[in-house]
Amino acid sequence: MAKHIILKAAVIAVIALGGAQAALAQRKGGEVAIGISQAPPSLDAQITSAQAARNVTLHIFETLYARDENAKPVPELAEGVTISPDGKTYVFPIRKDVAFHNGKKLDAADVVASLERYRKIGASPALVAAIDTVKASGEHEVTVTLKQAQSTFLDNLSSPRAPIAIYPASEAAKEAGKIEIIGTGPYKFVEYKPDSHVKLARYDAYAPNPKGTGRDGFAGKKEAFLDSVVFRFMPEGGARTAALEAGQIQFNETVDGPTAKRLGTDARFTVQKVVPFGLQVIKFNQAQPPANDVNFRLAVQAALDMEEIMAISYADIYQMDPSWLYPGAAFHSTIGGDKYNKADLKLAKELLGKSSYKGGKVTFIVDNLRANVDTATVVQQKLKEIGIEVEIAVSDWPTVSKIGFTPTNWTFWTHGFGIEPYEGPGSVMAPWVNGLSQQAKDPEIDRIAAAFNAELDESKRKALYDAFQKHMYDAAVAMKAGNYGIFQASTAKLKNFKPYRIPRMWGVWLEP
Amino acid sequence: MGSFLIRRLAGAFLVLALVSLMSFALIWLVPGDPAAAFLDASATPEQIATLRSALGLDLSLPQQMLGWYGRILSGDLGQSILLNRSVSAALIERLPVTLVLAALALAFAVVVGVTAGLVAAVNHNRWPDQAVMTAVLLGLSVPDFWLGLVMVLVFAVSLGWLPSGGFTSFTQSPSEWLRCMILPALTLGLVQVGFIARMARASMLDTLGQDYVRTADAKGLAKLRVVLGHALPNALIPILTVIGIVSGALLGGAVIVEQVFSIPGIGRLIVGAIASRDFPVLQGGLLFLAVVYLSINLVVDILYAVVDPRVRLA
Repeated sequence: MAKHIILKAAVIAVIALGGAQAALAQRKGGEVAIGISQAPPSLDAQITSAQAARNVTLHIFETLYARDENAKPVPELAEGVTISPDGKTYVFPIRKDVAFHNGKKLDAADVVASLERYRKIGASPALVAAIDTVKASGEHEVTVTLKQAQSTFLDNLSSPRAPIAIYPASEAAKEAGKIEIIGTGPYKFVEYKPDSHVKLARYDAYAPNPKGTGRDGFAGKKEAFLDSVVFRFMPEGGARTAALEAGQIQFNETVDGPTAKRLGTDARFTVQKVVPFGLQVIKFNQAQPPANDVNFRLAVQAALDMEEIMAISYADIYQMDPSWLYPGAAFHSTIGGDKYNKADLKLAKELLGKSSYKGGKVTFIVDNLRANVDTATVVQQKLKEIGIEVEIAVSDWPTVSKIGFTPTNWTFWTHGFGIEPYEGPGSVMAPWVNGLSQQAKDPEIDRIAAAFNAELDESKRKALYDAFQKHMYDAAVAMKAGNYGIFQASTAKLKNFKPYRIPRMWGVWLEP
Repeated sequence: MGSFLIRRLAGAFLVLALVSLMSFALIWLVPGDPAAAFLDASATPEQIATLRSALGLDLSLPQQMLGWYGRILSGDLGQSILLNRSVSAALIERLPVTLVLAALALAFAVVVGVTAGLVAAVNHNRWPDQAVMTAVLLGLSVPDFWLGLVMVLVFAVSLGWLPSGGFTSFTQSPSEWLRCMILPALTLGLVQVGFIARMARASMLDTLGQDYVRTADAKGLAKLRVVLGHALPNALIPILTVIGIVSGALLGGAVIVEQVFSIPGIGRLIVGAIASRDFPVLQGGLLFLAVVYLSINLVVDILYAVVDPRVRLA
């Protein structure tokens, strides 16, 4: 017994020592260079929804509310919120301990000016469309009134898509792209060399959110250990990998599967998976035959082997899931799953027989991203088996998106939905409202989305979201193939990194 | 000389007018919409329409064309859609990087190419000639994209001698600048070595067969003196022509090499502008490259007269 106790004590001591060592291992200093494939169009966070911009700006700027690890909105620069019973008035107490990178203390005037600027020129105007007025109701208190209750308002306020970043009032008075890059985040802006890099440095006067206990999504306690972070714009994947191997960059935003496998067996590197990173979506153009016929769409939905599509398009880095939200999301649902991934050719042929499709070519538009072309090719082969002749038209993204936003010249279009499922049910529904993505209005979706936005009761909102997802499958509005991910690779010296939607450089440190 | 310059400049302006018209027309033949490209897939038609209007894309084609000509005549290349700066500023910012890269590559290509051509010509049909010509053929067959990645793998990843990419300005650190530029310049230059070597060899062979060279040889002059002092100056004119053509090709090759090595030059600017349909940058960039190309041609023509007094610029 005594031996057992001694052993137990020894184990506890070792664990405690290990923990202490882990704590000691956190060290300040060093520079991490991150290879990213695209340059941010702007560092004015409010005016761009580009992923490349988010990678950088979410290190510099903060929002009133931000998303936690499960994408739930939690206070960041606000201390919290009081919502009136009618859901129209939001009172935000603002944290008093926060200083901008120019030393100015954050107050209500900065928040008001930033929200007003976003209402005028923000890249996602839908996020703030419900706002009626924004006023400072105290030196550190802001009151926002909505035109009508909007259940997704805190979701919107905390969206990282084109973040409603809080700027000093003096900067918020400036036009799009003309601001000085001054935020309240853990890193401050140093320089932006066009087509080369952006450099950030640790902001030593950063005031972490006292409510945060650790790294938590885009919120939580943001501890910066690195002296500086450099985002290098490197469009060529091979060049990024070579730079990582040569020690010129310490983190590669995305590597392909074979490279991930190779680097994964090398002790000098760490390979991480960010799964899910997006949904692979296949859209129908419902404005013209044959996809304006529900039986045609249901036939396609029944025929497709989604696992085959994902295994080929995103080998080793996919999940099968019928939900239009990510696992872990509050409203994640498997409703409609009975119609997902069926690969039932008999049923498909029956449904196709009931449709108005009597042969002839249909066009699948696709951009030149390898995975999207693979998706189109697998769909083409599978649909051939039930008698649908698919012609694939590949062009670059600007061309495809232009065609896809019009009601002619296409039947299928595939691409990823990354940020929408992260943002939540409101954003997942939005692309289908008013027939925006399917090119023909769907009254059922419009009804559900309007009711969802006005509904404040959580359980009723959940029921409405379930109804939306059921309708997506029952009417085959569009199809979700699966969840895909990306591989990220870093030097093994970068410690405590945890993958998320951007490569967060807080909570991590470099070993010598 | 004066009238030559005036005629050439007038011709250059005509070419520029045509290039600007073609760049405008070509761009409008390219499918895709900058507004849709700038916004994401969930953009509403209203958002796209607002952006199109802000960019002047909702105007008729003649209105847009008149606007474009009006602006360039007043020296204004317009405003970039994506970069939050004027097209001129964006071009001027990147021009020195590309020009220096091209100049280093050209210097390398000329020195190596002319030397290789001379060695081959002097050793006509012997093993050095065959070795040089085989190497030249190999060089000509290698795509610069592939060559760039191989250079990176050898000199940056395996040997660790040079950086794999990125750019440090000369003013920031001359030594780092040089280290950054060596691999891109070698990659860009190596592909062009072949053209210069082949022309140098052919031109030298032609010149070495001339009577005055045989006379010099017969007088018992040293071989090196005959080749360098007598034959080379006369062989230079066709070589100069090739150098002029190569200079243009280097600007084109810089587009690829700047992508591989992440060098912030005009090439990367234009590739980025194509991908994002940043039409003002694309139009301005094409016009700008045409100006550079025409200037190089003019300089080469003037150099003819400098090298060979028999050529008269009239």
